[in-house]
Amino acid sequence: MTGSLVLKGVRKTYGSVVALEGIDLEIRAGQVLGLIGQNGSGKSTLLKILAGLAAPDQGEIILDGQPIVLDSAATASRYGIGMVHQEQSLIPNLTVAENIFLDKPHPATRNGLYRWGALNKAAQAQLHKISVELPTRALVEDLRFAERQQVELAKVLAIEELVDRPPIILFDEPTSVLTPDEIKLLFKQINRLRGNATIVFVSHRLEEVLEISDRIVVMTDGRKVAERDSGSVDRNELYELMVGRQRVTDARSDRKPAAQASTPVLKIERLSSGQHFRNINFELRRGEILGIAGVLGSGAEEVCRAVFGAERVDAGGIAIEGRAANPTSPRTAVRQGIGYLPADRRAEGMLPSRSLFENAVLTFGLDYGWRSLVLRRGKERPVALEWMKRLKVKMHTPYAPISSLSGGNQQKTVLAKWLMARKLKILLLDHPSRGLDPGARDDLFAVIREQADKGLSIVFVGDTISELLELSDRIVVMRDGEITARFDLTDGAMPKEEEVVAAMV
Amino acid sequence: MGNALDSTLIAALRGRRSTLLRGLGPLAVLIALVAISAAIAPGVVEVDSLVSFLSDAAPIIALVIGGTLPILAGSIDLSVAGVASLTGVLVVVLNPIFGPWTSVVVILIAMAFGATQGLLHSWLQLPSFIVTLGTLSMLSGLALLLSNATAEPIPDNDLFVTYLSDSTADIPNTVIALIIIIAVLGLMLRYLRLGRDIYALGTGERAAIMSAVNVIAVRTIIFAISAGCAAIAGLFLISITAFSSPTLAGNLLLLSIVGVVLGGTAISGGVGGLLPAVVGGLITSWLRIVTVIIGVQPTAQNIVFGLTALVAVALTTDRSKLGIIK
Repeated sequence: MTGSLVLKGVRKTYGSVVALEGIDLEIRAGQVLGLIGQNGSGKSTLLKILAGLAAPDQGEIILDGQPIVLDSAATASRYGIGMVHQEQSLIPNLTVAENIFLDKPHPATRNGLYRWGALNKAAQAQLHKISVELPTRALVEDLRFAERQQVELAKVLAIEELVDRPPIILFDEPTSVLTPDEIKLLFKQINRLRGNATIVFVSHRLEEVLEISDRIVVMTDGRKVAERDSGSVDRNELYELMVGRQRVTDARSDRKPAAQASTPVLKIERLSSGQHFRNINFELRRGEILGIAGVLGSGAEEVCRAVFGAERVDAGGIAIEGRAANPTSPRTAVRQGIGYLPADRRAEGMLPSRSLFENAVLTFGLDYGWRSLVLRRGKERPVALEWMKRLKVKMHTPYAPISSLSGGNQQKTVLAKWLMARKLKILLLDHPSRGLDPGARDDLFAVIREQADKGLSIVFVGDTISELLELSDRIVVMRDGEITARFDLTDGAMPKEEEVVAAMV
Repeated sequence: MGNALDSTLIAALRGRRSTLLRGLGPLAVLIALVAISAAIAPGVVEVDSLVSFLSDAAPIIALVIGGTLPILAGSIDLSVAGVASLTGVLVVVLNPIFGPWTSVVVILIAMAFGATQGLLHSWLQLPSFIVTLGTLSMLSGLALLLSNATAEPIPDNDLFVTYLSDSTADIPNTVIALIIIIAVLGLMLRYLRLGRDIYALGTGERAAIMSAVNVIAVRTIIFAISAGCAAIAGLFLISITAFSSPTLAGNLLLLSIVGVVLGGTAISGGVGGLLPAVVGGLITSWLRIVTVIIGVQPTAQNIVFGLTALVAVALTTDRSKLGIIK
């Protein structure tokens, strides 16, 4: 069958930074190619080149034996190449049907006139192709994330109709914000496409890549370092190929339960907030890591935000070191010694066009100032740089805008902002590893663990159950706004993943 | 490994600060403008004319500086022209009460007004564009009402206005006052948390809130400073004209916004600064001179000014930093 794509000697630079170097790659027709690599390894650049969003400086792209030039997303879709974007590329205030046909000619929108009936019907047909039932007249902004991803998939698959060859579909980290059930559904669809379409699948979760791919390509520093059949490789080998060092397999073993003071640092009693969560009770002791497990919509994130004063609370109390705190805004929470690493890093965690340094000193710069009044850059700078060093932030200069860094380094810098505090008691981590590669994730977790050992109390809403089991001393499971199970891991009793999942869904 | 990292950090610390270079584009335009003018009319670059240019430019520069701060923080203050006009009127009207200190009292009143307006805007979450457009109309109306729509001479016992109309060692005192304002604001932006918070608000308000930036306090303070600068600009104006007119600064609002943009400050917030504001104010003022020296008749001056301002914006703005232009 046709639909094979070959790259020869592809090179891409951004200014003085080499993003891709000498990439030779064969994407075989009808197969699923898994693409892994750390943040900044060049996977995204490679996908952009395949999707026509970036032009290579050197090298060839060959489709079914013919050299082609992909100079725009429209050209790529003419060749049958489409991408399911990580951040999603749908226009939120247009309907599902409009979005599906936004980027392609269709009889229903010929000459710029909308024939709504025909458009909705055509959209319905595209959604049925992937067995999805969604109202085509609904605005995309009213859909849930997973539903929007289905729309995006339908939009990409509609390319099929334009070309007479099987489509080539690029998935850029499609699973990072999906629940386990939604991931299963996505995989079902990829499996259905296998054989009829050529697929490139990018993810940070090695287990997923192993499960879904036929072959796996590992990238490091803009180069292809390995290519394996997924049957002939295991998770640990992939980790080592990708990160360049061996994985510390049992990070838990050296974690001792911290000395526990009699009053809990944080005590939550009968906390409720509208639709989000009801009657939440838990305690957090000094130096303890409390994991909260729960799918999107379980209320786990909202509990975190409520403790940080960023979510309205209807009833119940939040006490810090035995005194009622009930923060009403992030400012009051910070004054009481609480820090929060938001899940939405781009909108809430960082100031994209400001420098790394400025992002790091934004909240606690004055802790190093003269009488909490005048900033002293000479005092705060070494501290900020020290934290970035300990978190292994890769940077050319701390004065570069934070947006020029990869997601992992951004997240490390946002964490550095909180660790600069002199009197931080509680740190709330809301999906801290989202979008991070395993190496960056391990750097982050190592520092988190170290801070807990030093007495910082941590609440941790995890992306996956395995990372919750790896990091937490105790786990609270939430479902539909209520706590459904509690596990204590301190005395060596590890719950099975299935037990935790059973309480989640 | 550790050593390599240390040395890159040290190298980075000595490295260039791109923020300092940001003002260079507009500065080059300013220099080119002055050079072109000097070629046409050599007289404009003599010391006397430059000094009188600076004292003419002082009100606009003060307005541009004041207007820049809210824009940096993602808001906008349109009331500055109203504040400047009303300042002149109040200096006359309040003189019987406060005597020689009237102008100082008026500056404080203006700052209190600005603070209130900033508080309203941030606390009630009203768009600054609408709030300040409303107050602009109210202030202009108040100036007309209090002055009975007539121009009046400035009482000669007012200490600050008298000082401003004088000069020290051939330098007009307005220029000295302007330099002091720039220095004080520059130190505040660099050494107080306020400076960082302003940029944080303009770059990403949600991230700023989640980083414990006191949004209401920051907005209150910058609108107070903005109104204070506008009041001082009004005093600069009446120290030159010696008359207060209720429509004194009416045409300066758009000029001040043109100045903000010409200096390289992004209307969308977060990009720009104090020195760009000064350069932008200088360019705007100089453009007005250019229209005169190339002999444009007064009725057509606005057309030529608008055209040159467009060209200057096209040359100075670094669009790569601004993202999508609105």
